[in-house]
Amino acid sequence: MISFILIVLASLFFTGIINRTKSITSGRKGPGIFQPMKDIVRLLKKGSVYSKTTSIIFQIAPSIYFASIIMAIMVIPLGEYKGIISFEGDFVFFAYILGVGKFFMIISALDTGSSFEGMGASREALFSMFAEPAFFILMGSFALLTGHTSFQEIFASMHFGPYISYILGVLATFVLAMITMIENSRIPIDDPKTHLELTMVHEVMILDNSGFDLGMILYATNLKFAMYGALIANLFMGSFPLYLTIPFFFGIQILFAIAVGLLESFTARFRMNHNAQYILALSSVSLLIFLGVLVILGQLN
Amino acid sequence: MPDSLLFYLAILLPAAGIISIPLLPHSIKAKANFIFVCLVSTVTSILAVKALAGNYVELIIGKILVFGNISFHIDSLSAWFILIINLTCINGAFYGIGYMKQYHLQRTNLSLHWMLFLLFQASMLWVCIVQNGLTFLIVWELMSISSFLLVIFDHQNKTTLKAGINYLVQMHIGVLFLAAAFIWVYFSEGSYEFSAIEKFFSSNTNLWLFLLFFVGFGIKAGFIPLHSWLPQAHPAAPSHISGVMSGVIVKLGIYGIFRIIFLLKQDYIVLGEIIIILSVLTGLYGILNAAVHRDLKKMLAYCTIENIGIIGIGIGLGLLGMGNGNSLLVVLGFTGALLHTLNHSLFKSLLFFSAGSVYQQTHTRDMERLGGLINWMPQTAMFFLIGAMAIGGLPPFNGFVSEFLLYSGILLGIKSIGITHITLMIFSLAGLAIIGGISMLTFTKSFGTVFLGTPRTHLHQEPKEVSIIMRLPQYFILIIMLSIGLFPKFYFLVVNAIVSRFIPNISGESLSIPVSLINSISAIGKYAMLFLLLLILIYFIRKSLTREHPVALGSTWGCGYASPSSRFQYTGKSFSKSLGKLLNFIVLEKKKFKEIGTSEIFPAERNYSSHYNDFFAVRIFDKIVDRLLYSLNYFQFIQNGNIQMYILYGIFFIVFVFLGTVFKLV
Repeated sequence: MISFILIVLASLFFTGIINRTKSITSGRKGPGIFQPMKDIVRLLKKGSVYSKTTSIIFQIAPSIYFASIIMAIMVIPLGEYKGIISFEGDFVFFAYILGVGKFFMIISALDTGSSFEGMGASREALFSMFAEPAFFILMGSFALLTGHTSFQEIFASMHFGPYISYILGVLATFVLAMITMIENSRIPIDDPKTHLELTMVHEVMILDNSGFDLGMILYATNLKFAMYGALIANLFMGSFPLYLTIPFFFGIQILFAIAVGLLESFTARFRMNHNAQYILALSSVSLLIFLGVLVILGQLN
Repeated sequence: MPDSLLFYLAILLPAAGIISIPLLPHSIKAKANFIFVCLVSTVTSILAVKALAGNYVELIIGKILVFGNISFHIDSLSAWFILIINLTCINGAFYGIGYMKQYHLQRTNLSLHWMLFLLFQASMLWVCIVQNGLTFLIVWELMSISSFLLVIFDHQNKTTLKAGINYLVQMHIGVLFLAAAFIWVYFSEGSYEFSAIEKFFSSNTNLWLFLLFFVGFGIKAGFIPLHSWLPQAHPAAPSHISGVMSGVIVKLGIYGIFRIIFLLKQDYIVLGEIIIILSVLTGLYGILNAAVHRDLKKMLAYCTIENIGIIGIGIGLGLLGMGNGNSLLVVLGFTGALLHTLNHSLFKSLLFFSAGSVYQQTHTRDMERLGGLINWMPQTAMFFLIGAMAIGGLPPFNGFVSEFLLYSGILLGIKSIGITHITLMIFSLAGLAIIGGISMLTFTKSFGTVFLGTPRTHLHQEPKEVSIIMRLPQYFILIIMLSIGLFPKFYFLVVNAIVSRFIPNISGESLSIPVSLINSISAIGKYAMLFLLLLILIYFIRKSLTREHPVALGSTWGCGYASPSSRFQYTGKSFSKSLGKLLNFIVLEKKKFKEIGTSEIFPAERNYSSHYNDFFAVRIFDKIVDRLLYSLNYFQFIQNGNIQMYILYGIFFIVFVFLGTVFKLV
């Protein structure tokens, strides 16, 4: 329960910090860190415009997407405190419930009958598909390392291993951070600030959403950021007492947000037609973690 | 009622149906078929439920000429498959009543069709019942032939006929392997009974005989590279037949593999490794092809291959468990495989039925000609959507339950000893994940192209929602699917009871399922329910908050262009193009077009066509067949069309046999 509340709190300022970092690095003062939330609240109060082509799918998809993110957040633990949902193999549930949301966002983009949105939908489906094995190999390696298969048990028992497991933690951070970028369609996979429909991925999928639905989708993105941030925080948290865990959690979230901001300020995006290969290469980093686990367990002789 | 009577009824009822259907008036043939299917199903289901409860049903007909003793036997494995067959056939027969109405002019053809349907169901049931090799081959053959004749219902169509004959030939290659296997056992043990196979396994190497059986059954099941009949036969058949074929006939290959596995005595590990690798590749290959094809039913057929791969991963896991003495792994692998067998028969028949409804209304299976059907056929769209989600393994539907079992099995297998198996498990984990990813791409593409957006071509007749007769069985399947998704524990315990009967008790430990596993399985049902509730809650909050908000209608954003046409839409082909391009060494695209020449200042109108070829068919089998045909040319002089020569061959043969017997050579 505590992790759920913390993630929701972190989601309130996460994108704000990213935007602020980006403004500062580009020499602007920039908006306050709660500005994205204010925008979302304003959107929630607005009316909507629907395309004549769309059907019921377009109406329900944002709600399903939002619900799937909420369900996924419930699975995330905080150090040794379990999430609301915790059972053996819960990370499979986590990945598949996120899949439900993605499925509906893709078909809702196709529902508009637009050429651009289909393009975005196709890219989203392709990129998230290639990111899938990276996540599963990562979690499989941790399951092998710790002998457990639920998020909470894996994270809680990772810290009793030798120090080499922290190196794995660093690699895992990289994999999870990249998955975050893919799932949230940020640089280097996609540029949310691009102005040409042809080069967008996620933004182009929600071109026709407006009002309350758009607000929900945008807020879901913030939640997703905080959710992956929480996963990364969990990699290093171990079994601290609660008064240390909470500041540590927010520390990691803020650091992660600043890192994303810096990354977006100083790197260009990948070439669109090579994105798939870049993402697939992420699986090889996961495989590196797998090899590291084999070394720790002494299976490689 | 005594069991033997029920057994005889299971033979007599279909026979009665086959005799009576041609005599009945034309208008009630389909309904009569449905009633007979139901009767046969009731009779056999009683036996099956008895067997599931633990009372194995047995009947032995003694001393028949060549066959020896023929034993009929329903154990819990047969019972599980009998129930799946009955469920799918009842749905198929009911759906068929509505679906075949469009062909009401072809009277004799229809009459034959319904007779064959009964024979088809009965032969599949018998396959699960008989325990004698020779009888098994006969009923297996009956099943293949009746399904072949069902496939070629539309036999005036050349492609249908070609697909049918391809199917027939491939099935007989399969029978060849099975026959060889049974004969091998006969020569070594002197009996065709299945118990003789067990005797054979305990005294000989298991590997080769098993592989022989595996190839025979694998052709039916559609493991690569033996799958090439599937994507041809399924689109050719009428939709309720494709539903039943993909739902069950393919699964009887799985039944055969299971039957032989439970007789095995050794070599578990090497067989497990072979099956897992083959299955992961089958799954990847199947779904990759499904992603690029534009024929709706061909896409579904390739997707069947993918699901056979998923089932195979479960079988392989179970075998590894048997070899390592890890009974929990056996349970997870085999229950995952058996439950996925049921699940797949449910959602695949649902998908084929809804594809059939689309075909009936639009007379095309080409996705690129469709679009926006959700406006005219909302319920069919919902069926397809739910089937698509379930087949992708998305909660809260049933596909997730069996995939979760397999994931749990793999995660358990990861802890096994030895780097080979650990790597194998990581390989299948990543494989299963990527299969899930591509299947999401495949089904968002199909659903989006067929049902969403605006119509891509002008249809001659405006489509409308199909009749209630065609919708009812789909609702029925939907309810069962949801029940598995929301209450998985019950189904898991049923399948677990089947599996635990067949596991040889390794190292004397009694088989107990850990509480945490049971908890996990009930948890996925519980949380799937929670997800549904949350979803409804959010939707209603949205609805109540936005009630006052102004709503406007406009056209889709087209970069400021205000009169978009349906040609602007993203096509299914382009949706999956980037995937196909990345993996163009596996999915072979064949394009036909004429490049614009340099001297052509005013280019004339031209055509562009592209289609995807099956890698194994084009790169391997076609080449072998070409060589074979070429070399067989040299023997043409034997078949010279001269009838006197043929009679001479006969005389040669008789003389040969005569001399052989005289000199005791034969």
